[in-house]
Amino acid sequence: MPFTRGWGQTRSRPKTSIFRSEIMSLVQLYIPSDVARFTVSQLGEMGLLQFRDLNDDVSAFQRSFVNDVRRFDELERKLRYLRTQIERSDVDIYDFFNEEAVAASRGPRDIDDMEEKIGAHEDRVLRLTAAYKDLQLKHLELIENKHVLEEVSSLFVEISGRQQTAAAPASASGASGGGAHDSVPLLGRSDSLSRRSIGSLDAAYAGDAGGYDVEGGTMGGGHDINIGFITGVIRRDRVATLERVLWRSLRGNMFLNYVDIEEPISDPKHDEPVYKSAFIVFAHGESLRDRATKIAEALGATLYHVDRNAERRQEELIETMSRLDDLQQILENNNAARINELTNVSEQLNTWFTIVRKEKAIYHTLNLLNYDANRNCLIAEGWCATNDIPAIQSALHLATEDAGSNVPTVLHELRTTKEPPTFVRTNRFTDGFQNIVDAYGVPKAGEVNPGLFTCITFPFLFALMFGDLGHGFLMTICAALLCIYEKKLAWLAKDESLRMFYTGRYIVLLMGIFSMYTGLLYNDIFSRAMSMFSSGWQWPSDQGGEGVTVEATKLGHTYPVGIDPAWHHAGNSLLFTNSYKMKMSIVLGIIHMTLGICLQVPNALYFKKRINIVHVFVPQIIFLFSIFGYLVFAILFKWCTDWYARDAAGELTHISPPSLLNMLIYMFLSPGSVGESERMFRGQAALQTVLLLLALACVPWMLLVKPFILRREHQKIISEGYGRISSHVRVSSEDDAPGGAIIVSEQEEMQEDDFDFADIMINQTIHTIEFCLNSISNTASYLRLWALSLAHAQLSEVLWTMTFLPTLKMSGALQPIAIFCGFAVWFVLTFSILIGMEGLSAFLHALRLHWVEFNNKFYDGTGTKFEPFAFKTILDEAEE
Amino acid sequence: MKEIYFNADAGYLEGVVRGYRDGLITAPQYMNLTQCETMDDLKLQLATTDYAPFLQNEPSPISTSTLSARCTDALVAEFQYLQQNSAEPVSRFLEYITFGYMIDNVILLITGTLHERDTHDLLEKCHPLGFFDTMPALCVATNVQDLYNTVMVDSPLAGYFRECLSAEDLNELNIEIIRNTLYKAYLEDFYSYCQSCGEPTSSIMAELLKFESDRRTVNITINSFGTELSKDDRTKLYPRLGNMYPEAQIRLARADDMDQVKSILEQYGDYKRMILSANMNASSDSAGGSDMSLEDIFFANEVQLNKDAFEQQFHFGVFYSWLRLKEQEIRNIVWIAECISQQQKDKVNKYTPIY
Repeated sequence: MPFTRGWGQTRSRPKTSIFRSEIMSLVQLYIPSDVARFTVSQLGEMGLLQFRDLNDDVSAFQRSFVNDVRRFDELERKLRYLRTQIERSDVDIYDFFNEEAVAASRGPRDIDDMEEKIGAHEDRVLRLTAAYKDLQLKHLELIENKHVLEEVSSLFVEISGRQQTAAAPASASGASGGGAHDSVPLLGRSDSLSRRSIGSLDAAYAGDAGGYDVEGGTMGGGHDINIGFITGVIRRDRVATLERVLWRSLRGNMFLNYVDIEEPISDPKHDEPVYKSAFIVFAHGESLRDRATKIAEALGATLYHVDRNAERRQEELIETMSRLDDLQQILENNNAARINELTNVSEQLNTWFTIVRKEKAIYHTLNLLNYDANRNCLIAEGWCATNDIPAIQSALHLATEDAGSNVPTVLHELRTTKEPPTFVRTNRFTDGFQNIVDAYGVPKAGEVNPGLFTCITFPFLFALMFGDLGHGFLMTICAALLCIYEKKLAWLAKDESLRMFYTGRYIVLLMGIFSMYTGLLYNDIFSRAMSMFSSGWQWPSDQGGEGVTVEATKLGHTYPVGIDPAWHHAGNSLLFTNSYKMKMSIVLGIIHMTLGICLQVPNALYFKKRINIVHVFVPQIIFLFSIFGYLVFAILFKWCTDWYARDAAGELTHISPPSLLNMLIYMFLSPGSVGESERMFRGQAALQTVLLLLALACVPWMLLVKPFILRREHQKIISEGYGRISSHVRVSSEDDAPGGAIIVSEQEEMQEDDFDFADIMINQTIHTIEFCLNSISNTASYLRLWALSLAHAQLSEVLWTMTFLPTLKMSGALQPIAIFCGFAVWFVLTFSILIGMEGLSAFLHALRLHWVEFNNKFYDGTGTKFEPFAFKTILDEAEE
Repeated sequence: MKEIYFNADAGYLEGVVRGYRDGLITAPQYMNLTQCETMDDLKLQLATTDYAPFLQNEPSPISTSTLSARCTDALVAEFQYLQQNSAEPVSRFLEYITFGYMIDNVILLITGTLHERDTHDLLEKCHPLGFFDTMPALCVATNVQDLYNTVMVDSPLAGYFRECLSAEDLNELNIEIIRNTLYKAYLEDFYSYCQSCGEPTSSIMAELLKFESDRRTVNITINSFGTELSKDDRTKLYPRLGNMYPEAQIRLARADDMDQVKSILEQYGDYKRMILSANMNASSDSAGGSDMSLEDIFFANEVQLNKDAFEQQFHFGVFYSWLRLKEQEIRNIVWIAECISQQQKDKVNKYTPIY
């Protein structure tokens, strides 16, 4: 049954604690439409109210404020455009943030102003950028032209130079000599000039040169049989393609040469500067040249006219250079203006972004509200913590004042049977632990929140597996630094991999502190023992030498805190610590599970289900205690007994320490009798029989009683004539609301589930079997505490003896260096493997013990999280 | 055995492509799209789909052509992501998919050049997936021989060109013939490649390619009515595969009008169903010719086949199918956009639903 709350409770403020989630109220707001925007804005600043969507059936673009949303979408697009322009021109975006403008409530006029400003800026930047691009294009042309002139000239100078000498006697025209003459210098040149020309092409050209001669001959060697050429610039990676295609298409009747232009050229068509090459193609005949031109242009080359005449070329080059200089000037001026404009924008950009995002969020929220045209007001519904209602109310007042309106917003609570969202009020410290719980499941409203217990049990269970004073100390230091400088280090939260450590800093801190405590108990510091007090054992002073077993003698006293350091190097130390830690794990595990089972009681009390206490909790606790409670008792009993005590006659008072494992097994296998080796106290056999019977009796109790009681109650209701009520349970607000409000929300049908005995029975069977089996497997599962702590201790021991210890035993001049290196290796490995990786694995196991062994005893975790409308979350999301 | 290693080479890509598939617009989203009144509404609705990042920076009054271009950009971006992350044999398969676009581009360029369009405009219109290095040089080709020797010879399509070389010069008819011959050779080659991929790729792709081939066969037949194309030549253009190969193809080659085509198609269970519903559409909606509805029905059938391809795992067909579905989706969006911008809301529901 969902949790219900009486009307009268509102006035007395319920206490806030992490033990249960906040008590929530479904509130309804009647907002006059002229203050709606201010109100939502105020609420967004406070982040206390989660709006419900009252227009579920209306699609996004049919809602009332869709035009406003669109308007801010457009503004955001403009801002994005400005930002990309700013980023592209390497202008720094000021981190300046106009808190005042962002926080203060904005009137519609402010928004209009802002929109106008942004629009004007965008316009100007657009124009400037367009002009800039235009200029850049011209600039590009000139630069390319310059390169072509320069590179190609060098080619020509030599060609013409040779032509002059070769062709002068024959023809007056320098450039258009006979074909044969032309081909010779060209060929001769090709090696030295075509720095990167493809060899095979040269060869091909050589082959073709013959054909050329013949042709030239038939044309009579006239003036016009010149080698025409085209020059241009093309992207460097296209040169090979151009060459290939040209060669193929002109059947080899061409010669291409190209020179790479060293520096990249910024082409406005591309975002990044591109590398280009200048090329020259020689081909004869108008038609072939046309084809070559077409192909080159199709492949994206830009062609430039280059004159044959060297002087003219020189002139052209000079002219180009001077034009380039002029253009450079203009370009710089233009760019300066543009940068200036962008700098102006960048000062405001962050502020504007924030405002626009906030406004957009406001209108998105307004779209969730119901518009009442008659009363000219908007009706909002939403969840908030009952405790926060006064705060919300004051926010509403503030908003009304801001808007300068005198019609107040009316807030009142609705009574509802709806399941409220879960709001657990956390602080910096509890937040991390609550996250651990939420990852498993968000508590149902009113349910006991395991987050409270997790705060202590989690680091404690972790520490049991990570018990080492030294490692714990290092961990504590790291976490403490994170906590002390948490404001300065807040940027860590933005990094994906470091976020985990940052948000979990308080968990790590507690884990470290607890590890120091358990390390003290285990008497482990970096796998070494500490002798803070005098040991309770004494080794014989005359050591027998290699291979001789010596026995420590017991002194009168016990080591006051933790494990006696004498155990550390004892031959049977593993035997001792294993048995000790194993028993400890069982004892702590049972305690932990008992806590879990007991937490059913507050749940049952809260939801008023007595049946869950009497017929679920009681048999469960009896079952657990009669088997494992007895085991714990036996463990403690065994610890407390001195099994080697002798009586006055010097005889052992006890036969031998009992094997508890066998005792437990034979408790089931041969009830009523206790073997000689397992005997601990008188009446043990009888006690065991009683406990076994109790446990067995609990099984049918758990299985059958609850379903049958439920069935009887159900039948009673039916027989009394109360059928199923499935009409609308309408929550009318007419009586409560001033002026008789309209019912805005039809409450959904009350979720009165059908009574199906078979379902309940099956459910109960599963639960019973699960509980009985789990009590065994979960107890065994706590043994991981022992296993992990053993592994941790052994690993650190190995690390110590393998890396650092040998250097301490060394002698000679090298020892200091060896110690230095050995320590470095040891420390790095300690930090990365023992603290980093081992810590992570212990963390995971502690997590599992909480999620599985602890939570499944009482926790449903079927709630939904409370997600209030808050600008903070919206802005954070937009940042990412 | 192959399945064991499948995930090593293609597991990631298959996962990605299935994710893309889940990003396809669903029926309720189409509902919302068709209800839009203006292009702005449409843009707003598309903001909840995978197209959002490609549309969000467009200034607000958006035109249908921009919308279509941006949607294609989205498709290309996704396909290129697949290509960039692929290794043999997936990369080879993806390459094969692009050949079809290359053929379209080649034909577009030749036709454009024939009509003396500006080369750069033509290049803009080319599908980005069918781009290859030497493609721009197509604009100088004036006859088939030239075309082959200059450009096609080192393009991936060179092998397909062999059969086209008999054509003399480039005119409308020849270009169509070249297109269909190329496509025929491509389909046959793709088919045989898929068969070499082994099960289950081979059987799934066989299904899809056979359907494609049948569709082309029917289209060639219908389009050749009333042209100079002789019936023998027509036969040469039919891809030599498909459900209708060879028997029905021989009969289709002799067909003279739509009715004959339909009667031939009706002898195939699947196609009979298609024709029946096509007839119904034609009668209920006299404005759209029966041709049109036949095409639509082919589209609908194709969508179904492509959806089926996702029912199996460990095969490459998903890549092909996803691309086809995405293309269909873009056609749908553009159709809806056209209807909205031309105020023809009554026809807006004539898109081919996918999911």
